[in-house]
Order: sequence, then C-alpha cells, then structure tokens
Amino acid sequence: MRTVIDHKRVVAGTLLAFSLALAISSAHAAPFGPPHPTGGAWPQSGIAAWIFAQQAAFYRSLSGFIRASKDDGSAMWSLFGISFLYGIFHAAGPGHGKAMISSYLVANEETWRRGVTLSFVSAAMQSIVAVVIVAIAAVLLGATAKSIGWTVHLVEIASYGLIILIGLRLLFVKGRSLLFALRAFRWREPQFEALFATSSGLVKLSVDRNGSMSHCALCESDHAHAFHCHGDDGQEHHESAWGHAHGPKPAELAGAGGWRRGLSAVVAVGLRPCSGAIIVLIFALAQDLFWTGIGATLLMGLGTAITVAAIATLAVVARQTASRIASTGSGAGMLFMRVIEVGASALITAFGGLLLAGYMASEQLWMFTG
Amino acid sequence: MIKPICVYACAVLLLSLPGAPASAHPHVWVTLHSEILYASDGTVAGVRHAWRFDDMFSAYALQGISHAKKGHYSREELASLAQVNVESLKEYDYFTYARGDGKKLKFNEPVDYWLEYASPALVLHFTLPLKAPASAKALQVEVYDPTIFVDFEFAKEKPVALSGAPPQCELTVDLPHQPTPAEQARLSQLDFAPLDASSAYGEIFANKMRVTCP
Repeated sequence: MRTVIDHKRVVAGTLLAFSLALAISSAHAAPFGPPHPTGGAWPQSGIAAWIFAQQAAFYRSLSGFIRASKDDGSAMWSLFGISFLYGIFHAAGPGHGKAMISSYLVANEETWRRGVTLSFVSAAMQSIVAVVIVAIAAVLLGATAKSIGWTVHLVEIASYGLIILIGLRLLFVKGRSLLFALRAFRWREPQFEALFATSSGLVKLSVDRNGSMSHCALCESDHAHAFHCHGDDGQEHHESAWGHAHGPKPAELAGAGGWRRGLSAVVAVGLRPCSGAIIVLIFALAQDLFWTGIGATLLMGLGTAITVAAIATLAVVARQTASRIASTGSGAGMLFMRVIEVGASALITAFGGLLLAGYMASEQLWMFTG
Repeated sequence: MIKPICVYACAVLLLSLPGAPASAHPHVWVTLHSEILYASDGTVAGVRHAWRFDDMFSAYALQGISHAKKGHYSREELASLAQVNVESLKEYDYFTYARGDGKKLKFNEPVDYWLEYASPALVLHFTLPLKAPASAKALQVEVYDPTIFVDFEFAKEKPVALSGAPPQCELTVDLPHQPTPAEQARLSQLDFAPLDASSAYGEIFANKMRVTCP
C-alpha cells in the first residue's frame, strides 16, 4: 500500500517539474514581444558564454584555413578538423533542430538507436541542403546573395510549416491517447487497492466500484510493466491505460511505420540549412575552392550530428526514466506519460509556430543583403 | 526515488531551453569607424559610419554581383548592393541607438551611402542624420545588434571621431569586450544617463561612444 502512495506522489512531483519547465520555456519564448527577438533571454551562465565564444572563434578561423588550403594541401586537414569542432560547438548553442528532435523523442517512445540515427540523418541532410542550394544557385545560376537569401528563407518557411504539421499530428494522436487514458483511469479507479508481496512477485488486489474483485500480478516481461489481471469472470485482462480504451499502445506507434514518421521529423529539421555553412561555401567558391568548402560543410554536419545525438540520447533516457517511474504507479503513471507526450507535442507545435511567425527568429541571412 | 526525478526534471529543463531564447549567434563581423557630426551651431546633426565586414561575409554579399575586372568592384558596380544594404538595415534601426541626456534620439533614413571594396573586405559607408538636431550635455551613441547575429567591434585605431564639435566637448569610447579597470572607473564617473532597464542583452556587447559637453 505504501509503495503505491509513494509512487503517486513521485508521479505528481515529476508532473509538477514538467509543467514548471513548460511554463519557463514558454515564458522565454515571449511570443508577444517585438517582431524581432531582443535576445534578452540568452543564458548568461559561464558555460553558455564559453560555447558562444568557442564557436565564434572556430567560425572566424575558417576563412583563414580556407585561404591557406589554396596553397598548402595540409591546411585542408586543419580546415576539416576546425569545421568538425565548429559543428560540435555550433550545435551545443541554442537552436531549434535539437529542441525539435528531443521533443519528438520525448513525445514518441523511440529507442536510443533510432534517436541517434535521426540526429545523424537530420544533420547530414542539413549539410547536403546547404551544398545543393549553393551548387545550384551560386555555381550554376550565378545568383546574388539576395536571391540565395530568399531561397533559404523559402526553404525555412517550408521547414517551419512541416514542424507545425508534425506537432499538430502528434498533438492529435497523443491528445487522443490522453483522453483514452483519462477515461480508462477514471473508470478503472479502484475503491480498494492493496499490494502484496508473494513468493511469485508483486500481486495487486483491487475491488472496483462495481464490487468485482480482481487480482493482478506484475508482468515483468510486458513492455509497459502492466499488471496481469484475472477478473471475477476468469478472463484475463491487461491492466493498462490502453487495456479497455482501444487506443494504440506506444509500442505500436514506435513500430514499423515509426521510421516513416521519424523521417518526416528529420526532413522538417534537416531542410533548413545552416547559414554559416552557406557563407562558408560561398566564401570557398570565391576562392575557387568549392570542393574544399563541401568537405568542410560535411564535417561541420558530422560535428553537429554528434552533439544532437548526445542530446537525443538524453531525451530518450529522460523519457525511459519517467516511463519507469510512471509504470510503477499504475493508471496514474500511464496518464502521466500521456500528459508528457501531449506537452512535448505542444512544444513542437509552438516551436514551429514561433519560428514561422519570426518571433523566435533564427539566423537571418538577409540582414544586409535584402 | 528522488534521484531519477531530479535527472528527469533537469533533462526536461535542458531540453526546453534550447529552442527558447533567440537562437542567433554572430555570422557577420563588423569593424566600425564612426564619426559624430555637429552642425555649425554646436548641435548634434548625425552619425557617419564606415563598417568593414569580415571577409567571409564580404564574399557572400559579393556573390553574383557582376563586375568588369576579376577581384575588383567599383563603387558603381556596388551601388545596387549598397542600396539593398541600407534598405534592409532600416528594419534593425541601423543598429545605432542614440541618447541625448538620457532621451532617445531618432534618426532619419541614411544619406551618402556607398560600398567600397578593399580586398578582401567590403566597407559600407553611410550617414544617419538625426530627425531633429540635438543639443545634449551628455550624448551617447551605441552600436550593437540585440540579436547578436552581427558582431560589432570598434576599429583598433581611431574608432570614433568628432566632426565640428565645440572644443570643450570630450569624447569617451567604451570597448564592449574587455574594458580596463581605468576605463571602468572613468565610465562610472561619466555616466550621466541612467541605465536603461529595458535594454536587450546584446547591449552588453555594445560599442559605446559618449560625448560630454559642459
């Protein structure tokens, strides 16, 4: 009995922390501020400042290394090394890519392996999009910075639109499971519940409102650690929030089709090229070193992928930890996981909306070039 | 039980933060020379800027600009780009913020603007006239990008000049990055204008010019 109460308290505590985080993050976004961000919310801590300084230093040294590699082949390897480091530090700074991917991983029950793969694919795509835009616009068409800026801007709008769509779709799916979970939780809320430790493991005895009694054994093998229940009727029931709700289980959502959905998230994030990469590529092109620029861009992408993968891992671990805590808390825990998923989906939609509206503007290439 | 909650709560907080603040960081570096212009009656008339862009951004801005001689761009060839520059800067208030005795001063649209190509960098020249001439005892002109997309830095040599200022006026230049203790002390003495509480974070990187006239 004590254990059950403790878990409920734990779940409530975590829920509180999550809503707090949500409240803080939405306060930072300040959607009703001026049309262009004032950057007032920039974290002023030492680590943030250090990352900021490091990436700026790496970026600024790129031009020197590109120039040097014109005459000295070995300078190219230094350039690649610096590009890689720049990618690592660049992705550690604020940016919507990893916020989006980690929210996506929190909203969906994804494996660590899939999270890392998604991070690498999105970073690779970001680099390739930058190379393709510069190759077509600058090399083939001889377009001006103004038209390249507009191309990037259009691609950005498409990317943000996709993020909103993915967020809305997730909100719909996760919102529905939350409603199901809510209904199932209310309906199955037992009047009396007791946990007994027996030689065969944990057994839960509960009597529901109708007075029918069921006893459940914790099935360790079950993915959701659900209680395996035998009702008065002798039929077997899996007590979980989905048991009677006919909603899809998260395991099913993360199943075979999950790759396709994951890919849509990757495309939404990876579509937007990094303005730094575009500038580096055009600079390399002006030095007649386009291929070197491509190499540098791809290595930047590799560095970015490593950081994003690390953050994605954190997101997956966070979700698994929450899931483990929640699963021991019976129906309330399931409900809690649904709330987290809906929260993460709402965050994705909010990111997309803010980015599209320009309130959370990212790097603007058209600041001087129209 | 407490530990995993902490881990989780911290992770969620970390994840929520990245997308939240303005996700800009410098991709354009500008080294600036500025001149504060005075009218013959001793009032402040405007600010004349010469902004030198870093070589990578210069190459980016020059992409696709037709020019007769490789590696050379004439002022005429760059005229349309200069036009685009000043027009797009309007939205950002030309990154120039002026205060006269603590009151905000407004600028008109830039005049006398042109681009100069001093290989490998582009230099943008433009003059910002004040909407109304200001006679301020304490004038402060700041140059910064609140979004930190553009990093402004005073030129090493003679970053600021006064043009036609009354002889008793004194100019102080505050370097944003590492002010020396002496400069810091001087700064606090000269600080007539109250600090603006609503100013953005980018202001800590502001390049400040102060002119005090008795």
